[in-house]
Formats: sequence, C-alpha cells, structure tokens
Amino acid sequence: MLLLEFQSFLLDGLLNTLFLSSVMIAGGTFFAVIFAAGLSAQSAWLRGPVYGLVECLRDIPLMVTVLMVYFVLPHAGLSFNPFWSSALSVSVWGGANGAHIIRAGLLSVPSGQREAALSSGLRGWKGLFLVIVPQAMPVILPPYVSLVTSLTQASSLGAVLGVNELLRSAQILIEQTTIARGGSPAYLVYGSILVVYFALCWSISALGAKLERHFAKPYQRTNGKTGLARPAVALQISTT
Amino acid sequence: MDFAYILDALPDLMTGLKMTLIVSFLAIVLSCLIGLLGAVLRTGGIKPLQYAVTAYVEFIRGTPYLVQIFFIFYGLPSLGLRFSIFWSGVIALTAWASAFQIENFRAGLAAVGRGMHDASASLGLKRWQHSIFIILPLATRAALPSAMNTIVATVKNSAYLQAIGLVELTFVAVDRIAYDFRAIEMFASICVIYLICVFTISGFGYMVERRLSRPFGGR
Repeated sequence: MLLLEFQSFLLDGLLNTLFLSSVMIAGGTFFAVIFAAGLSAQSAWLRGPVYGLVECLRDIPLMVTVLMVYFVLPHAGLSFNPFWSSALSVSVWGGANGAHIIRAGLLSVPSGQREAALSSGLRGWKGLFLVIVPQAMPVILPPYVSLVTSLTQASSLGAVLGVNELLRSAQILIEQTTIARGGSPAYLVYGSILVVYFALCWSISALGAKLERHFAKPYQRTNGKTGLARPAVALQISTT
Repeated sequence: MDFAYILDALPDLMTGLKMTLIVSFLAIVLSCLIGLLGAVLRTGGIKPLQYAVTAYVEFIRGTPYLVQIFFIFYGLPSLGLRFSIFWSGVIALTAWASAFQIENFRAGLAAVGRGMHDASASLGLKRWQHSIFIILPLATRAALPSAMNTIVATVKNSAYLQAIGLVELTFVAVDRIAYDFRAIEMFASICVIYLICVFTISGFGYMVERRLSRPFGGR
C-alpha cells in the first residue's frame, strides 16, 4: 500500500507539522498576552493602536496575512525562511484572536476579587497570577482550546509557502506517484491526512476538556457563580 | 507606495473581487440553507440522521480547511466526481461554512423555549404553522449574531481558494506580484478591500440585528 511504502516520508511531514504547530501555539500565546496587555493598558495612546492592529488581523483573511508576511517583510529587510515566516504570521493572527479571549476572561472576574487581593497585600503581578488568573481560567480555557486546534490546523498553511509539513509531504507524494505510476492517489492521500489532522485536533480537544475540568473543580464546590461562567456561544475562529 | 501602480492594477483587482463576492455569495446562501436543514435534522429526533450530522460537523471543524479544499479539488476526480475550479471552490466553501451554520442554527433552535410549543398549541396552530411562523423567526433571531460571524468568515475564507487557482482577489494580487514585484502596493490594496467587505457585511448584520432584537408584537 502506498501510504505504508512512504511511511517514513509522511512521518517526517507529521513531525514537522507537530513542531510547526507547537511554535505557532507558543508564539500565538506570547502575542496574545502582549496584545491583551496592550488592550487593557491605561493609556489610550497605547490602547488605540493595539486595538486597531488586533481588529485588522482578525478581519483580514489568514491566507492573506500569511502571504503578506512572506512577500512584504523582505522589502523591509527582514528575510525569513518559509517555516519561520508562516510561524510568525500565524502566531500574530493567533495572538490577535487570543488577546480577546484573555481579556474577556480577565474581565469576567468580578472587581471585588481584585480589591480583596489588594487588601490581602497581593499587589500587581502577585494579585493577578494568584487571584485573578485562576478564576479567569474556566472562562479562558474553552475558547482557548479551540484557538489551539485552529492554530494546529493553520499549520497546514505552511504548505502554501513550501514548508515541508504534512500537507506538503502529501502533495509531493501525490505528484511523484502520479508521474511515476500514472493515476492519481490524491483521494487516498488527502483523505488519510484529513484523518490524521482530525485525530490530532481531537486529542487536543480531549486534553483541553481535561484541563477545563481541573480548573472548574474547586470553584464549583464553593461558589458556582464564579467558577462556571461560560460564554453562551463558543468563540468562532475564522480559519479551521 | 506607488498609487499610480495601484490605480493601474485596480481593474484586475475588481475582477478578482467580483469572483470573491460571487463565490462567497453562493456559499453563504447554500450554507445557510444547509445549516438550517442540518440543525433541524440534528434536533429532529431521528437518531441515525442526528449522528450523521454531528459527525459531519465535527469532522469539518476538526480538519484544516486547506486540506478539505485539496481533497475536493484533487481527490474527488479520481472517485469520478470532477468539478471545475469554480464549483470545487463553491463546494469547499459551502461544506466548510455549513458545518458552522448548522451549529449556529442548532443553538438558535435550542434558544426557543418549550413554552412556545404549548402557547401555539393553545392557539390552535398546526404543527407546520408552529414551525414556520413561531419557531423559525425566533430561532433565526437568536442565531443571527453567530450566523453573521460565519458569513463574514465565509467571505474571508474564500481567499484560501487561491490555492487551487481560483482567480479571486488574493490570486490576482499574488499573480501580479509574480510579474511586477510590487508586494507592498498589492497587499495594501487587497487588505483595504477585504476590510471594506468585512466592515460592510458586519455593519449590515448589526443593523439587521438591532431591527430584529425589538420585541415582537405589542408596542
């Protein structure tokens, strides 16, 4: 069977996909935190531009962002190879979507909690990480997990720029076997990598659900209100 | 930034925009219809159909859109289903958007309370009258904000179709860059065009939402 024959080739692609998605998830989280900080800044001079940038990134198609970073940055003297170029563009896009998730989560914690933290002597970062963030987690996590699956799926955009990830490997495999043996195995190869991606995203969701349960637990027992606030409609991310 | 060049490229970009809008429009109309049908099937109580629709939604949402496009354009012909680039694009975009619209309308249907059923039964409405005159408007109203999001996302995701060579806005821009190397001008213009499209649609959606969110009946 074709897939078994080129097993190691496709496996290499899968490993690259895993690496690329990890970079995108890490980068996306990094930008999300930065943008979220910018969105909740005191100074309107900082908040305005960050808000504009985040809105633009969310409203411009991801495909365009990916191509734009690849084609435009060299004009500014910044040359990346396809791997880092796609990683950067998808990370920034993920950051723009993640920023709103994080901000909404932090805002969902009643302001009394912040005051309580202050009165217990937990100022600034300490109060944020020990009091606010744990309570914001149940609100942040569900949409954040779906963002992570979106980022994993977006790693397939690397194929457009020529990164050797799973989709690109599949394309090469199809081209080569079509030339060498005649008859395109496209439905078989694309069909199987669809299944691989599905399994990958499904595992991420399952892991996320576990994490959600972990964070939902303690608050559920004492006070259902703070622990289980969830957005009514799951946040929708445009790529997937 | 060379505005003369942008002006020169504008006719090309407009033909691209036209294609983007046509493909998106077809996909939006089809996906809303399929979404409504799918939502009804998913809540309809026929178990095998329910599972089938759920599986479809989960599969589309769990796989990369780009791979779906390639599967439809390159994979289906070897199974005997050959479509042109245009129709492959419409099918891929519709298949993707439908999964999200099914979810949106399902949430909309779920938002209509059981009390409505008793109320229309007591008014002597027939089952079909109840579905069409009571449930449908209420469910549409509840589903509208998220359905609008999906509609905007449909227009944005039409950009992916450049990967199979559909001559839409992004394809035109990338094609011209390959000849003239004016990446900054081209991307600036298509970004502006996409932003205008997105803002127009979401503005329109916001207007409809405001109009519909007035309570029905009594004034």
